[in-house]
Amino acid sequence: MDLYHLGPVGWVESQSIYHALALLDHEGLVICYPTTPYICLGLHDDLDYEIDRTYCRERGIPLLRRETGGGIVYLDNRQLFFQLVLRQDNPLLPLRRHRFYEKFLQPAISVYRNLGIAVELKPPADITAMGRKYSGNGSGDIGRCTAYVGNILLDFDFVTMSRALRVPDETFRRHLYRIMRANIITLADCLEHPPERSALTTGLIAGFEEQLGDLSPRGLDAELRETALRVGERLTSREWLDLPGRRPAERKVKIAEGLYLLAQQTAGQGRNVLLVRDGIAKKITAGNDAMEPASPVGA
Amino acid sequence: MENRAIPDDLFYDRSDYWIKVDKEVVIGLTDHGQGNIGDIIYLEISPVGTIVRQGGRCGSIESGKWVGSLLAPISGVIVETNRKAEADPHQVNADPFGCGWLYRMEPADRNEIARLMDSDAYKAWIEERIRLEAQDGAVR
Repeated sequence: MDLYHLGPVGWVESQSIYHALALLDHEGLVICYPTTPYICLGLHDDLDYEIDRTYCRERGIPLLRRETGGGIVYLDNRQLFFQLVLRQDNPLLPLRRHRFYEKFLQPAISVYRNLGIAVELKPPADITAMGRKYSGNGSGDIGRCTAYVGNILLDFDFVTMSRALRVPDETFRRHLYRIMRANIITLADCLEHPPERSALTTGLIAGFEEQLGDLSPRGLDAELRETALRVGERLTSREWLDLPGRRPAERKVKIAEGLYLLAQQTAGQGRNVLLVRDGIAKKITAGNDAMEPASPVGA
Repeated sequence: MENRAIPDDLFYDRSDYWIKVDKEVVIGLTDHGQGNIGDIIYLEISPVGTIVRQGGRCGSIESGKWVGSLLAPISGVIVETNRKAEADPHQVNADPFGCGWLYRMEPADRNEIARLMDSDAYKAWIEERIRLEAQDGAVR
């Protein structure tokens, strides 16, 4: 298996290289991070439903739509990406695609545990500890390959993430910020001295070698660069970004597995904000604004 | 063998689609296929009039943390899509051979249908995959 240990790359390349590998039918593991921030939509996210385009334009935050699943994410250089491309006929790949997350996320789980953070897998694809989410992950079939993508959060800009999403009103946004903050955790939150990125990378590579066997370091050859360039242009094109997607009748934002914030229109002119946790909805009242941050899922 | 329905009056392909042959053909995901995909949260089928080749992409499907393509089991023209299933993709999970059908197609070459699997062959093929899974330690 080839290893593309790329370190810092441009924001488009942080997505386009693994897409290019898949389209070229090349298996490989990519480890990288973007030098500048951007917002990344899942394949079926609807841009106008999800994103405040004006805010993103004013802040100079570019947009990209990937071909893998999962929802909208704000990505920047405080995250470390790991992206695995496997051919669909690879015996490692289960028919039940979501079951491969058990293997795919094990290296990241080991990294966290070696840092003294007792994380576990919350199926299908969250890494959690004490009910708080540590990692965002997704997968998708691209060409004749399947790509699994994940990240380790060194830190996270909750303000920009909550501000960039389109929401029905500022009360909803306030709740969104609080609930994200309470249910997503980063290395900066739990370690006095966050580890060097190189140490995290070394840990990830060691973990993936246990899963995949020896990894052979590779650089980007001309074919891969050219394909990534073409793919990147497509993933950021206006036509591709404007593809229609999911538009639930009521605004719904996924925070973590089993946790959603939902805006529900009432019979009158008002609107309720509901926190849906493992299928059970709970109304958040205005008075909750003065509360301590919402309890994490499962805590 | 997992307990999944495999009706006798249908044809099947290796991407877990069923094909019901009439004047036109009706296509859907098998019970085994929808079980492998998991809870479907988004379904998009290529519009009526789209011409697809056997094995070609004719839509997109998402479940939880995975996105994949719908692949045409035979070549032809899509003549109707199941709008209710697109609006409520859970129907594909709940009733894959009934309300959860995907689309109707006018086949381009009925010889392609003759080369698909019948229910016995499909059942044997699933069993083989499950056997390989146990052997490899992965659900193939």
